[in-house]
Amino acid sequence: MAAEGQEQGLRCRGLDVAFGGNSVLRQIDFDARPGFTGLIGPNGAGKTTIFNVITGYVRPQGGDVTLDGVDLLGKRRSAIAHTGVARTFQTPKLITEISVLENVMLGMDGHRRLRDWRSVLGTPGRERTARREALAALGEFGLARYADQPVSSLSLGSQKLIEVVRALVSKPRLLLLDEPAAGVSVDEVKRMTEPLMRWTTENGLCLVIIEHDLELVSQLCPTITVLDFGRVLVTGGPREVTSNPEVISAYLGASFAAERA
Amino acid sequence: MSGIDWRRAGRPAAFVLSTIVLAVLAAVVPYYLTAYSLYILTEVVIFALACLGLTVVIGWSGQVALAQAGFFGVGAYGAAFLSAHGFPWFGAVAVTALAAAFIGVLIGVPTTRLRGFYFAIATLAFGELMTQIFSSWKSFTGGALGLPVDLLRFGSLNPTVSLWYVSAAILAVSLAILWHVSRTRWGRCLRAVRDLEIATGSLGLSATKYKVEAFAVSAILGSVAGSLYGQALTFITPSSFTSTLVIEFLIVVLVGGVDKLFGAIVGAAFLVVVQEELQSVGAYQRLVFGIALVLMVRFLPGGLVPLLYSTVRRLTGRRRKVEAGPLETDPNPVVDVAV
Repeated sequence: MAAEGQEQGLRCRGLDVAFGGNSVLRQIDFDARPGFTGLIGPNGAGKTTIFNVITGYVRPQGGDVTLDGVDLLGKRRSAIAHTGVARTFQTPKLITEISVLENVMLGMDGHRRLRDWRSVLGTPGRERTARREALAALGEFGLARYADQPVSSLSLGSQKLIEVVRALVSKPRLLLLDEPAAGVSVDEVKRMTEPLMRWTTENGLCLVIIEHDLELVSQLCPTITVLDFGRVLVTGGPREVTSNPEVISAYLGASFAAERA
Repeated sequence: MSGIDWRRAGRPAAFVLSTIVLAVLAAVVPYYLTAYSLYILTEVVIFALACLGLTVVIGWSGQVALAQAGFFGVGAYGAAFLSAHGFPWFGAVAVTALAAAFIGVLIGVPTTRLRGFYFAIATLAFGELMTQIFSSWKSFTGGALGLPVDLLRFGSLNPTVSLWYVSAAILAVSLAILWHVSRTRWGRCLRAVRDLEIATGSLGLSATKYKVEAFAVSAILGSVAGSLYGQALTFITPSSFTSTLVIEFLIVVLVGGVDKLFGAIVGAAFLVVVQEELQSVGAYQRLVFGIALVLMVRFLPGGLVPLLYSTVRRLTGRRRKVEAGPLETDPNPVVDVAV
């Protein structure tokens, strides 16, 4: 679909966002190619704001956002989702009263075209197909046994996993995960990352992950962008990033950086 | 998950059986009730139908719409007017319902963008506007003098019995459709609009579109119920469709359970029967309803239907699935380190 090879994936250029007089993002350049990309930085650095700009929740004062060469800025949120952008939120946004399976099916519901009247009407055949697809996706994350449970009965970790599955079944081109591992057990993180790695390699998915767990991000992401106070500190490989003195001082405090030096 | 889940396998059979039983009951009811009791029962069915619309718009899509009395009136006047001008009754009802849906979209597009309270006020204003139109557009509605209704008759059946059959059949069909809808795509999307507000966009769903659709569907149900109500009244005047009716509809959905499909039926039965029983106390009726509502919201915020479910469950000894959740029964429990 890309016009040129170099246009593959997400490309953000010169993003400027200010809330009132408060500048949140300043001239941000950020790219995500197929595979994992890490987005890290201290609290308030502007990581989630970048997600919000990409998904249409925040309109930037300046800059460009394209996915495979298609301009995303100015589009409505649902239209951005239809171009292949899916995301999760820091706190899972699920319907607690319906089942896990139905929540996952919701990930496909928004992507049914009106022309496909059968799925719009929810004919038994289409519902069955959707159910099967959702169940298979849950199975990949080891959640199939919870399919019929109401979401409210599950732990926060499982709920975060379900949100990831719901985002994946929409077959996105770009998936934005906002702190998927925060408050999640080691076991659940493993259950999340393994199938995610498979999905990304199999489908050429561009996956951006905001995460505080540096070790996890270093393991998963060949490219990491570090933000601090709304600007990019550095973009590079895990080793380059973790050894950068500016990053160490922003992340672990100036005293730690001095100690290391 | 191995083997056959007999409880689930038994569901279609139980469904077919209870449908047959209910259909037979509905068919024979006119032969065992007095004309007056049948009239009361028909009124319950009509109110339930109108309030099913509120279940969709308030319960499922989460918008407190107060326009239902307006659509109820549109249905009553529209069907009466059209059938007086040569339309067959069912055609008149259908055309009126489509017109109501159109009005619903027209009103819904600007108002569903408003939040909670403001949406409620805007839709209440629409209802009031309708009442004004009913009393002032004399060539169409007959103004305060009212509009007589051509009564529906099937063969040798009298109008009361005919109306009962039509009302019961329409309610049954509407229930079946909404039951299907509540478990499939559209129902899920409406709940997403209600519960996930900001996340709906990133799921590819346009919240406004679904809100307008829900409002239009509630307009259709309100209008069809209104057409039936016109038959029940036999003579319609604007005073039948004032904001008092809005309050009554709200009582129905709150008492029954606002997001429960059968809430509208239970609530309508409560409203109509209590109104009948309390006719002797006159103005104190309102007081009783007021107290009942306060008690209801305080002690049973989910309405009567969940209470009925839990009572049945207690009597039959069945436990809710939720209570025996996965955390207790799973051999490999999922445990969070930090929440």
